[in-house]
Parts: sequence; C-alpha cells; structure tokens
Amino acid sequence: MPSIELIDINKSYGAVHVCKGINLTIADREFVTLLGSSGCGKTTTLNMIAGLDDPTSGDILMDGRRVNDLEPVGRDVAMVFQNYALYPHMTVAGNMGFNLRLRNFSPAEIHERVGAAASALDLSHVLDRYPSQLSGGQQQRVAIGRAIVRHPKVFLFDEPFSNLDAALRNRMRAEVKELHLRLGVTSIFVTHDQEEALSISDRVAIMRNGSVEQFGTPEDVYADPETVEVARFIGTPQVEILECVIDRSNGSNTVLRCGSASLPITARQAVALGTRTEKVLVTIRPEYVTIGGQGTSATIRDVQPTGPSTLVKLGWEGSAIMARLNGIVRLTVGETAHFSIDPMQLMLFDNESGRRIKTKS
Amino acid sequence: MAARQSILGRAGIVLALVVFVFAATGPIVWLLLSSVLQQQALTSIPPDLSPSSFTLANYLEVFSSAAQLGRAIINSLIVATFTTALAIILGAPAAYALARLEIKHAGTILLMVLAAQMFPAIVIAIPLFITASKLGLIDTKLLLILVYLSFNLPIVIWVLRGFFMGLPLGLERAARVDGASPLQTFLRIVLPISLPSLFAAAIFAFIEAWNEFFFALIMTRQTAQTVPLAISAFAGQYQTMFGQMMAAAAISVAPIILLTILLRNTILRGFADGMLKG
Repeated sequence: MPSIELIDINKSYGAVHVCKGINLTIADREFVTLLGSSGCGKTTTLNMIAGLDDPTSGDILMDGRRVNDLEPVGRDVAMVFQNYALYPHMTVAGNMGFNLRLRNFSPAEIHERVGAAASALDLSHVLDRYPSQLSGGQQQRVAIGRAIVRHPKVFLFDEPFSNLDAALRNRMRAEVKELHLRLGVTSIFVTHDQEEALSISDRVAIMRNGSVEQFGTPEDVYADPETVEVARFIGTPQVEILECVIDRSNGSNTVLRCGSASLPITARQAVALGTRTEKVLVTIRPEYVTIGGQGTSATIRDVQPTGPSTLVKLGWEGSAIMARLNGIVRLTVGETAHFSIDPMQLMLFDNESGRRIKTKS
Repeated sequence: MAARQSILGRAGIVLALVVFVFAATGPIVWLLLSSVLQQQALTSIPPDLSPSSFTLANYLEVFSSAAQLGRAIINSLIVATFTTALAIILGAPAAYALARLEIKHAGTILLMVLAAQMFPAIVIAIPLFITASKLGLIDTKLLLILVYLSFNLPIVIWVLRGFFMGLPLGLERAARVDGASPLQTFLRIVLPISLPSLFAAAIFAFIEAWNEFFFALIMTRQTAQTVPLAISAFAGQYQTMFGQMMAAAAISVAPIILLTILLRNTILRGFADGMLKG
C-alpha cells in the first residue's frame, strides 16, 4: 500500500483560491481524515488525490512517484461518494462488478469477488436488487462494496455517512474502521463531523479556508490545538474564547484578567508569555472547569443536562466559559456560582495570529 | 380559515386544469367530430349535430382513395423514423460532449448550432431547392430526411445538453474512478439512465418530422409526398372536402396520439428528470 504526499498543492477555480499550499504526508496503511466545515477545500483535496480534479500547482506523490497526470484508475484508488453514486440501472451485483467488467475480469472471478465482498458487508441477499430498492445503509454498503472488490491501493471516502441517521452512522463508522483494520489499505476520509473524524482516524488534518491548520492524532488536535480556530472547532460543546490582559502587578504572581474575572496561570505559562503586553486569547476545555467552593464568581447562563454529564455556561461581564460536570447536576439559570479552573489546562493563543503560545515542557 | 383557503386553492387548480384539458383536447375532439359529419352538417352555422348528420362516409371515401394516403403515410413513417433516429444518434453524443467534455469554443459551437435554427424557412427554401435539384434529390425521401434533420438536430442537441448538464456529476465521477473512459461512461452509464429524456426528444423530433408541411410542399411532387400534403389534397380548387380532410387528418394523427399515450409515463419522466438522485 502506498504512502501519499501532497506537496504545496494549490487549486483555483478562476479567481477563487480553494486550496492554498496544502502539504500532507500520509503514511502507508494510515487512516487519515480531512476535517473542516463546508467550503474549506477538503473535498477538492480528496478529488485531486483521486485524480478527478487537477491541482493548479503542486505535486501529488504515491509511493514517491508523481501521479498528477494519471487518471484515477492509473492511481488505483477507489472512492465512496457522499450520495453513494450507485448506477441506478444496475443491480447491486452489477454495481459492485462494474469496475471488474471494465478491466475484463472473467465472469467467474467477478462472481467470486462480488460474492466475497457482499458476504463481508451483509449484502448477499440483495445482490439482485436495484439501488432504489435498498435502504440508505444498504446503499452505502454497496458503495463500499464497489470500492473493495477492486482491492485498490487507496480508499477515499467523501463524507460517506452524511445522509444516514445517527444510529446507522455510528454502525457504519465502526464497520469502516473494522474494514480498515482488516484490509490495511491506506484510507483518506473527508467529513465535517469532528466526532466521526476523532473516532475513526489515526490522524486528522483540520482544514480551514483552503489550508491545513493542524495535522495530528485525535488526542493531539483535542488536547494540544496549535491554533485558536482548531481549539474552537474541535470539541463539543465549542469552547468559549476569552480575551485577557496579562497582569504582572502582583510581583512574580502573573494572572490573566478576563473582564472582571482573574484567572491564575502556571509559572511555565508566565515564562512562555515572556514580556508580552498585548492581549492574549485564552480557552480551557469544559472538563477542567469546576463549580463550587471559593473560585471566581459568575452567573449561570445555561444548563444542559446530557445524561452522563451536565454542561453549564457561566458568564460575567462580556465573557463566558463552559463547564462540564459529572452526572446530572441541578443548577438554576440566573444564579451566581463560583468556578475554578485547572491552570495547567489553560490554552493561550496569540491575539494577532491565533497561534498557540506554547509552554516548554 | 386555512381549510377554506385550501379548498379555494384546490378549486382554482381544478378549474385551471379543466380549462387546460379543454384547450388541449378541444381541437382533437372537433377533428374527430368533423370527420364523422356530413359536409352540409359541418358547414352549416351552427353545425348540425343531430344523429342523422353523422356518417362514416368520409372514412370510406378516404379509404377508397387510400392508395395516395397510404403511400403518404408510409413516406411519412420512413422520413420521420429516419430523421428521429439520426437526430438522436448524432445529437446525443454531440450534446454529451458539449455538456461534459472540455471542448474548445463549445459556446461558439452551441451558438452556431442554434443560429442554424434561426433562419426563416422561406429564406433557405430557394437556395436549398436549387442545390437539391442540382444533386437530383428533389422528390426523394432522403432530401426530406436531410432537411428535417437540419432543424431537428439543433433542438435535440440543446434539449439533451440541458438534460445531461442536469445529471448529477457523481455517477460519471464514480464511473471514472471505476476506470471507464468518457465513451464507456456515455454508453454504459449516461445513456441507460437518460432513456426517458431520449424518448422525449425522439417523440418531439418525430412529431416535427411527421407534421412538417412547408418543405415537403416545395421539395416533393408525387413519389415522396408526406401525410400533411396528402391531407391538403382534399382541398380542391373548387371545393374543399372538409369531412374527408378531417378523416384523413384523424387517420394521420392516430399513430402520434397512440405513441404518446403508450409512452406517456416515459415522456413525463423524461421531462421531469434531472431530479435523479446520484
């Protein structure tokens, strides 16, 4: 299975610059997700890897070989499309075997390969049906079956589950992950659903405005975001971003003043801030915010019980912060509460560039 | 209130449909009615619709002089069928290429295709006649097929191009990933799913060729005479046999109406398509 390299890929449609200098190196057998909101260039990037679109500039390498000028079939990629793209006039077996027929496989081999894929995907009983006679989940499995009968070198998935209901989506997610573990084929998956991306990927490339903001493991992009946009984009609920000034008035004990609230920081963070005087952007994941005890005083603005936890939005003078409390917690909106944070978990970002102000470990 | 509005709305729709059905079927009903009325009953004002006025004599007369109408029907069938087949065989690939392939000057080509349609028939009739007569094609079915093709092909290309452009790209992209060439994609994916639209375009081309009068009048004499000319022959210098003319017209429109009724679902799908999920 090949490794895939995107080197400084640009794509423009007229004056619209969709992909801006994308660089990615995807390892052999890796499962990588391109994650971003709609219009960020993730599907265009996937289409360029597939050979369906040509980059305006830049190189696409597979196993070190430049494949820019190869058709999809020459790159040996298989793709699962968002709207399934099943041929409506062909049966399930016809759909799955079409690419083998084009490559002049013998009917016996087509039968064998389609049969094997169908039984792996639980489609054996619908092989004679037409796509319109199938449920959404079955249609999606046929689309996956069509991809796996070819034994391709690379699997590409373009938001394959966005038309399925939540329960089915979870099941299909597990099936795709299992398929990847079993076949070990390099896979690139496009989605706008962060939960989906984090749950199935080895690494996630977070895209925004045609560029890759961060490329890392699911743990990295959640716990260690490199930009404020990644911090905001990853994680549910979305974190609140505070604009804070650095207060060094109390000698060596530097704190962040965020509106009327003051947040403590660690010595390492104080070192990382150096001699900065301008504002910094600050956020913290809700699970590191606790309510009760002394802490900073704030007003409860919203309470959302989700079952295993309760999300609480706390606000004060133009700022807000989210807290996640274990279990169902009864709190009243409008009341005052005291919260405290784990300063180790505070994430600081440059106000101008939005880039992380890293502490040295 | 909402219920009352919806009743009013429904009444409006029903009324509009009734008017439409009358407007669409009225001429056909009148045609059929006239074809079974005696000449006198038909020409009196108002027409005499008493049972004694009805007769099948017009049909019998038409059938007794059937040789001419029969030959015309066969001519029309040959001309319309070949025109339609050629228009689809040539038009569909052209339309697909113009819709999907990267062709230089595609816009200019499309405009030229359309421009060919824009000349008034009378402008091209005389040069066409001279050219055809020099080629010895006057009064041949081949000439009619070529002439009809020249104004059916642009329409077929434009209609089908519009349809192909409305097809979701996903299917063709999937075919490309599956390893199909553009021609394989067209023949094995696009054409089969476009059958309803091809039928609709074909029916349109067929009707155009079947009904055409002007060029048939100029370019044919006896041998290649088509149905509209045969019908017009019932209008003589001194007398017009309205009843017989209507009977002949009824016979000649029968295949078209039959074809449309038989294929109505396909034609409707052809017009409604573009909503195909892909």
